[in-house]
Amino acid sequence: MKGFTIWFTGLPCSGKSTLAEKVEEILLERGMKVEVLDGDVVRTNLSKGLGYSKEDRDINIRRIGFVCHLLTRNDVVAIGAAISPYRQIRDENRRLIGRFVEVFCKCSLEELKKRDVKGMYAKAERGEIKNFTGVSDPYEEPLKPEVIVETDKETEEQSVERIIRTLELMGYIPPEESEEYTKEEEEKIKERLRALGYI
Amino acid sequence: MALFGKKRKKRVCVLGLDGVPYELLTRFTSQGLMPSIAEIIKGGFLCKMKVPLPEISSVSWTSFMTGTNPGTHGIFGFVDLKPQSYHLRFPSFKDLKAPTIWDKLGEQGKRCMVINQPATYPASPINGVLISGFVAIELEKAVAPVSYLSKLRRLDYQIDIDTMRARQDHDYLFRELNRTLEARQRVVDHLWEEEWDYFQLVVTGTDRLQHFVWEGIEDESHPYHQLIVNYYQKVDRLGAKLYEKFSRLTDGEGQFFILSDHGFTGIRQEVYLNSWLRQEGYLNFRVPQPSSVDDIGEGTVAFALDPNRIYLNAKGRFPRGVVGENEAATLREEIRRKLKGFQHQGERVVEKVFLGEELYSGPWVAMGPDLVVLSRYGYDMKGSVKEKEVFGRSNLQGMHTWDNAFFFSGEKVNKEDLHITDICDMIIGFFN
Repeated sequence: MKGFTIWFTGLPCSGKSTLAEKVEEILLERGMKVEVLDGDVVRTNLSKGLGYSKEDRDINIRRIGFVCHLLTRNDVVAIGAAISPYRQIRDENRRLIGRFVEVFCKCSLEELKKRDVKGMYAKAERGEIKNFTGVSDPYEEPLKPEVIVETDKETEEQSVERIIRTLELMGYIPPEESEEYTKEEEEKIKERLRALGYI
Repeated sequence: MALFGKKRKKRVCVLGLDGVPYELLTRFTSQGLMPSIAEIIKGGFLCKMKVPLPEISSVSWTSFMTGTNPGTHGIFGFVDLKPQSYHLRFPSFKDLKAPTIWDKLGEQGKRCMVINQPATYPASPINGVLISGFVAIELEKAVAPVSYLSKLRRLDYQIDIDTMRARQDHDYLFRELNRTLEARQRVVDHLWEEEWDYFQLVVTGTDRLQHFVWEGIEDESHPYHQLIVNYYQKVDRLGAKLYEKFSRLTDGEGQFFILSDHGFTGIRQEVYLNSWLRQEGYLNFRVPQPSSVDDIGEGTVAFALDPNRIYLNAKGRFPRGVVGENEAATLREEIRRKLKGFQHQGERVVEKVFLGEELYSGPWVAMGPDLVVLSRYGYDMKGSVKEKEVFGRSNLQGMHTWDNAFFFSGEKVNKEDLHITDICDMIIGFFN
């Protein structure tokens, strides 16, 4: 099983860490070696001391990307979960790593504020937190992510399923035995397609 | 009456006529067989439209609803292979990789009513109501939100007809097509009264009828010709009703579109691509009576999936893959060259052979076929592995075509060579 990197990007509170953990659980259950590099955790060790200027943010994301690269080439599944607001740096990591699956956690600002129990969005809007992504700092949405999960519109299970399904379809992980359709449903579909000459 | 309660605002209504070719529409409208649609198109802009290859409903409608090609939306056919395997799978709506027109409109707070949309099964929530069409099986999974299920049952809604029976029994075909169309009309009437910005109905009976009794369209003395005409006239009346309701509601503020997802023509010969590959030495089977691609034997370098997709048996992509990266380009060119010279009774069978990357763009190109064969009109490509001969005929009479779907809009479209992927942006643009 070759390694690859799943890169979660999105605004604060958009569900990156939650989904990263869920995906990690599933991949571990399927017998893979997995390591999660969560942006908030990385800032307490690997990137301790870095701030939130563009320069510091870029260094942080490049560091996470570099570790993901090392893990990937040693056949580990690396999961990066960080706001990673700048497209250019995410794309640098994509080029460096190669086997790279970008997951964009999309969520409306309204919903993000609702979820924000620490009240960070409110503080940022009052100017009490500077360089807050989505309020006083930019976020550049990915142009062609492998997966978009709309965390304000779908359930956690649906988002996870979408990510896992993409990994299966891209051949990064073997597909699970259970498919979308039951055997009975498959037979009905086959009959319909056969009737029109498709199979 | 609900009309007076409804707000005047920008609205779009789309009537999809599955598989109706431009030439058939213009013939029936000019002959007075579809007088209402004839009147509608007189007041607007009608043109031919191209669709992606393979020219089948799941690919075409997905391209319509996302405004993207298969390399971006990820749907290459009704069947595909499980990753790293030769086992068939049936891509569902969950495999879609690009947002739909309803997702985009939903983000703007627009409410969409979508009835009988092929390639959306199992239905997933939109801002509005989605009722999946072909290959939907259970109504429970074909409706989102599921709270509309009881209404649909009360209206005696039917997703589809029993196509296998209809293929053999044409009296049943027409009876059921009429019944299904009447049920769709009832659902249209019901959902129309709700609040919406975008309304869409797809009529799929046109496609079924053309698959099974195309000869009856071309031949006016055919025993089913009148029943075919009757069905189109029923579609005409449905179109008229929809248009009148829409015009009253919008008073010129809306856009009404009619379109098909591919064209059609008669079959002269079915062409079994896997038999051709076997004949040319590219494919062999490990059992005398193969039943699926899973039965391909040692040394196979290429195989086909329905209808016209050729895959190299590549190392790393398939478990018994033999084609290395260095040989792939030469092999593709060789197959392409041979297909160009492929003949039936002295007549060329193939119009053009495309490399996957010539047709598709986006992150999913590598999941698609290596070659796609565009046949000449009348030569219907099939991916069956069960046929021994390269050519044959079944009781199917009509085949899909890629360059004569049609598109109608109330306003002139300033684009030459219109493609079905252009429509999504056109609709979004209208709202913006």
